[in-house]
Amino acid sequence: MQAAIWLIILPLLTAFFIGISKVFYSYKLLFPLVTGSAILYLYLLISVIDHSYPPKVYSVGDWGLLGINIMVDPFSGLLLLMIALLFLPVIVFSLKYITFHTHNYFILTYIMTAGIAGMVLTADLFNLYVFLEVSSLSSCALVALKKTNKAIEGTFKYLVMSTLGSFFILLATILTYDLTGTLNMAEISVAFQDIPFQIKSILMAFFIFGYAIKIGLIPLHAWLPDSYEESPIPYNVLSSGLVMKSAVYALIRVLYILFGFDFLDETGMLQIGVVWGVVTFLIAHLLAFQQSNVIRLLAYSSIAQIAYITIGLFVGTERGLIGGNFHILNHAIMKGTLFFVIAIFHYSLTAVDIKDLKGLGFRFPLLSFTFVVASLAIVGLPPFNGFISKWLIVEAALDAGFIYAAFSILVGTFLSLTYYLKVIVTLYTKTDKTIEMKEPGLALKLPTIFLGSLCIVFGIAPSLPLSLIDKIPTFLLDHEEYISILLGG
Amino acid sequence: MVKKLYKLGLVVSLGMFLFVLFSDIHNLDRTSKNYLSEHYISEGVQETGAINLVTSVLYDYRAFDTLGEATVLLTAATILAFLVPVTKADMLGTTFTIIVYQATKYLIPFIAVLGVYVIMFGHLSPGGGFVGGVVMALIPILLSLTYGIDFSEYKLTPNTKKVVEDIGAIGFILLGLLAVLTGNNFLANGQAGFPLGNAGELISAGLIPYLNVMIGIKVGAGLAIIFNSLMKEQ
Repeated sequence: MQAAIWLIILPLLTAFFIGISKVFYSYKLLFPLVTGSAILYLYLLISVIDHSYPPKVYSVGDWGLLGINIMVDPFSGLLLLMIALLFLPVIVFSLKYITFHTHNYFILTYIMTAGIAGMVLTADLFNLYVFLEVSSLSSCALVALKKTNKAIEGTFKYLVMSTLGSFFILLATILTYDLTGTLNMAEISVAFQDIPFQIKSILMAFFIFGYAIKIGLIPLHAWLPDSYEESPIPYNVLSSGLVMKSAVYALIRVLYILFGFDFLDETGMLQIGVVWGVVTFLIAHLLAFQQSNVIRLLAYSSIAQIAYITIGLFVGTERGLIGGNFHILNHAIMKGTLFFVIAIFHYSLTAVDIKDLKGLGFRFPLLSFTFVVASLAIVGLPPFNGFISKWLIVEAALDAGFIYAAFSILVGTFLSLTYYLKVIVTLYTKTDKTIEMKEPGLALKLPTIFLGSLCIVFGIAPSLPLSLIDKIPTFLLDHEEYISILLGG
Repeated sequence: MVKKLYKLGLVVSLGMFLFVLFSDIHNLDRTSKNYLSEHYISEGVQETGAINLVTSVLYDYRAFDTLGEATVLLTAATILAFLVPVTKADMLGTTFTIIVYQATKYLIPFIAVLGVYVIMFGHLSPGGGFVGGVVMALIPILLSLTYGIDFSEYKLTPNTKKVVEDIGAIGFILLGLLAVLTGNNFLANGQAGFPLGNAGELISAGLIPYLNVMIGIKVGAGLAIIFNSLMKEQ
């Protein structure tokens, strides 16, 4: 499992080397360094995902349970798969798209990816916090990259909220260490059996509050659209695809492994999670409907989709976990495609408002078609990938007796159809205006079309990712197995 | 008035809540729950070769966390370097008496010696890379404060500091990779066969002194960047 540690080191090394190459070679070394490392990273990711079942443990510094352990299991394999699908397209796209603070953009992107990979791989509570800080701090910095007033405002909101979330997570981590005397997730989980119910539920509340801010569940969402609005758009792909998802991952990891499924059931957290999800996506859909800026619209749509994921993961059945996890993957792909298309429009004619998109459907036929595919997929229409994961979530909610959740998801689907149709109709409205524009090159189009085609491929052949996702619930619903592997390794 | 009372009430109730929680946690019976810290205290010196317990945890048992924290610092320095406008402020009346200039000049070698001592003896006495790095960062900071930011950046350009910072971070990772070369896990020290030496000697504890040096370089350069960036104004 030597490759697992490289997933964290390689982006860090690349970031530091970009810092040095900036001083001595300016732009000469940037392209080979960035693309070479991204391709190597893709290879490493694939080899680690390939070995994610059965789970493996890697002990940093050979300390075993005394030190920090890294663990690869199917759940982290899924998140790594998302990095693999998104990272190289984003890098290729950004090389063409980003024309300001290029070096800083790539340094911060690589550090952010290292942080996300660390969060996904680690099996140590404090290490999780450290990498969470790495990823959220660099994410904040990327929001501020344009240095416009709006960008600074968004960054400030993001920074304050993100720090508040980190504060609660750190407090919970410290209290956990104080209570159990260890930071290894498996050992904490074992030691937690002797801790009184009341203290455990307070700790859980701290964790949930902290991560809910990072995820952006309503009413803790206000920073999210503001921070998206003026940030470089390729970063938004990574942000909605990976940064938010890594927080979801960490929350689920902490809840299911540390506290265990039985405790969640006992405290009623599962019901709260489902209700919270329903409220979040209903409000988020209504808010998205009012937006005139496409990026803000997509940001609210991201909040709504995360709420679907929350419902899937909190239903508490095997099917719900599969559906939720599949939706994590699908949302990353669909939202990535949408943001890429908007980024190209922004690159060509600086269009970010819905009214600016008028008539672009005839100018960019292929790209607009990709946009339509991705938006129909995100609404949840067959035969695209979003339909399948949403269907799995609805089925799981019905099975577990959450009739209102299943019904609300259908309502939410219609709500989201209305605002996505608004954009699509504008795209295909004829206009006589002739518009000055830059022709987007292949470097911009290829990543977009790659992700867009994945929407169709995963819709027609969902068994490709599901073969990995099917193994996830084994290690989440019953945390004994995870614990025994981590303790035994 | 009502709003103020409301805020006050919120703060007081949060305080009471945390007080109850902490006292509950404090009153729990927790014997035999701290085997980890016991192990660090009783076996730390033999296993890592470092007399300073904090160093043995920071640079050996949990060295991976240190790498993450160093990265956070580097990120912060990078952010400040590009967020702060490039224009330089005139130092508020840079007319100190000659005593200040002369004293600064004579102080700098002593600060350098202290910094190097704290970094090099990090595994033997209180100190280490983080503390020593802060001490080293005092040199450019003092230069900026007394002679002005232009002189300080003429002696040590921002680019130099950036490169030094990156070299520190890369060095940390490369030292960790030495263990991978010998067929062990990342950041392994004693287990990878690096000689731990006699505890208490300067050259002992395997990789720890070198890791300390790298972190010292990185933290020093990073803090200097952060300070100079914050001093600049529009």
